[in-house]
Amino acid sequence: MMSRTRRRQLNRAGRAVLLCLWAAFCLLPILWFLTVAFRARTEIGVSPPVYWPHFTLKPWHELWNAWPVGDYLRNTGIAVIGSVLLDLVLGIPAAYALSRFRFRLRDDLGFYILSTRMIVPAAVAIPIFALFKNMSLLDTPWALMLIFAAINLSIVTWIIRAYMMEIPVEIEHAAMTDGAGRMTILFQLMVPLAMPGIVTAATIAMIFGVNEFLFTLLISYTPSAQTMSVGLAMFTGGSSGIIFNLIALMSFILFVPLCIIVFMIQGHLSRGLSMGAVKG
Amino acid sequence: MSIDADSTVAVGPVSGRRRAVRLVSPRLLPYLLIAPAVIYLLGITLYPFIYAVRTSLYDVSAGMEFWVGWGNYARLLTDQTFWQSLLNTVLIAGVSLAVETTLAMGVALLVYNDRWVRGWRMLYLAPMLFMPSAVAFMWKLMFFPGTSIINDLLIHAGLVSDQLNWFGNTVLARGTMVVADVWEWTPFLFVIFLAGLQGMDEEIEEAAKLDGARWYHTFWLITLPMMRPVLAIALTLRGIDLVTMFTKVSIMTNGGPAGYTETVSYFIYRNGFKQFDQGYAAAASVIVLIFTVIAAMTIIKRFFRTATL
Repeated sequence: MMSRTRRRQLNRAGRAVLLCLWAAFCLLPILWFLTVAFRARTEIGVSPPVYWPHFTLKPWHELWNAWPVGDYLRNTGIAVIGSVLLDLVLGIPAAYALSRFRFRLRDDLGFYILSTRMIVPAAVAIPIFALFKNMSLLDTPWALMLIFAAINLSIVTWIIRAYMMEIPVEIEHAAMTDGAGRMTILFQLMVPLAMPGIVTAATIAMIFGVNEFLFTLLISYTPSAQTMSVGLAMFTGGSSGIIFNLIALMSFILFVPLCIIVFMIQGHLSRGLSMGAVKG
Repeated sequence: MSIDADSTVAVGPVSGRRRAVRLVSPRLLPYLLIAPAVIYLLGITLYPFIYAVRTSLYDVSAGMEFWVGWGNYARLLTDQTFWQSLLNTVLIAGVSLAVETTLAMGVALLVYNDRWVRGWRMLYLAPMLFMPSAVAFMWKLMFFPGTSIINDLLIHAGLVSDQLNWFGNTVLARGTMVVADVWEWTPFLFVIFLAGLQGMDEEIEEAAKLDGARWYHTFWLITLPMMRPVLAIALTLRGIDLVTMFTKVSIMTNGGPAGYTETVSYFIYRNGFKQFDQGYAAAASVIVLIFTVIAAMTIIKRFFRTATL
C-alpha cells in the first residue's frame, strides 16, 4: 500500500500536469498565431502545414504601408475612449442613486438598466442602422462611440453600484454634518472611494468596446470609421484570398496592451465580469 | 431617502432664500441622477423596438414600402431556414455552455488552492483578451480544409486516417464553432468560478473532510450548492452571449454548410443586410426581442435580485 505522503505527492504531480495541459490549450494557439504573424504568405495555407516558419518582418512593413492601420487605431481610440467617458458620466450618478437613495421605482429602473445587457444585438441592428442614418452619423467613429456606450452602460452602472454599496454610510453622514452637499459628496468622496470599481468598470467597458463586431460591421464601412476589430476582417482582398499573416499581426497590436491593463486589475476582474455580483 | 442632508444644515424652518439657492429638491435628486442613463438606454432600446415593430408590418424593398400586415410573420413561421437557425443556435449554444461550464469548474477546482493561483489565472485569461474577430480567423485557419494543422496533428496522432472537411460537414462545422467558443470563453466562466471558490467558507469543507467525506461528496453536497448563486449569474451572462453568437458565424462559416451553422443573429443579418429584406428581418427581430425581454425579466428576478440586493 502506498504511503500517505507518496499519494499526496502523486496527487500534486497529477494536478500540475493537468494545469500545464490546460495552459497549453490556452496558449499554444496564440503562440502558433504569433508565428503566423511573422511568416511569408508562401508558408500559409500549404500542405503539409508549416509549424516553424522562416521568420520575417515583411508582414509588419506591409501592414503599415499598404493598409490603413493608423486609421483603424484612431477610430478604435475615439470610439472606445469616448464611449467609456460617456458611460462614466451617465453611469456614476446612476450608480450613486441606485446605491444610496431610497426612492420609488429604484429597483425597477436599476433592473431595467441591467436588462439592456440581455438584448440580442442583431435584433436591434436594423433600427439602429436607420437611427444613425437619420442622424447622418453612418460611417463615423461617433456613431460607434454612441453605440458602444449604450452596450456597456448597464455593465458600468452595475459594477460601480456594487462598489459604492460597500462604502460605509457613516463616512457620508460625517461629511454631511460638516455641511457638504450631495454633489460635493458624490464627486469628492464617493468617486475617489469607489475608484477601484470605476477603473474596473472602465476596463471591462473598454475590452467590450474593442471587441465589438456586429454593429461596427453594420454602421461603418470605410477606414474613416472602421475599428481594429472590423478592420482585420477586411483583409480578405479578392484574388489574394484571406491575408492571414496581416490579420494575425493586427490582432497582436491590441492584445499586448490589453494583457498589460488586465494584469493590473486582475484582482477585480471577476467582480467586473459578473457585473458586480461576485466578489473577487 | 436614507439620509436627509438638510436636517443637519438648516436650522428651523427652511427660509425662502435657501429654497431659491437649492437647485433641486432632495426628493427629486435620485431621479435626476438616474434619468440621463435611463433616457439614453430607452432611446437605444425602446425606439428600435417600436421601429422594428412598424417595419415588420411592411414589405421593404428598393426603397419602397408596402403594407403587408402579418405577412412577414406568417412567412417566418413557415420558413425552414428560420427554424433551422433557431435549432442551430440552441444546439451550438447549449453544447458550448455545457462544455465551458464543466471545463471552467474543473480547472477552477484544480487551481483555487494552488500557491501560484494568480499566475495560472493570468495565463488562462489570455484567450479572452484576443479580439473575437481575430479568434474566429485564427480557428478558421486552423481548421482550413486541406491545410489544417488540426487535421495534421490528428493524422500524426493516428486518431483519423484522412483529412476531415471541417467546414463541409454539418456536424463538424458546428463542432468548429463550439471548439472556438470553448477556447475563447471558458476563461470568462473560470475567472468567476475561481472567485466564487476563493470566497467560500473553507471551514465547512474542512469539517466534511474530517468526517471522512470523499472529494466528490464534498463537491456535490457542499461546494456546488454553495456556488449556486455564482453559477447562476455566470451561466446567465455567458448564455446570453452564446445565444447572440454572430462574429464566429460571419467569419468562419457564413452560416454554411447549407445553413447548418446559421444562428438567429446571422439569420437577421443575412435577411436584413445581405438580401435587403428589411421588413422580414424586422419581424424576426421582434420575435427575438420579445423572447429575450421575457427571458431577461425571469433571469433577473430569479438570480440577480437575490445576489445583489
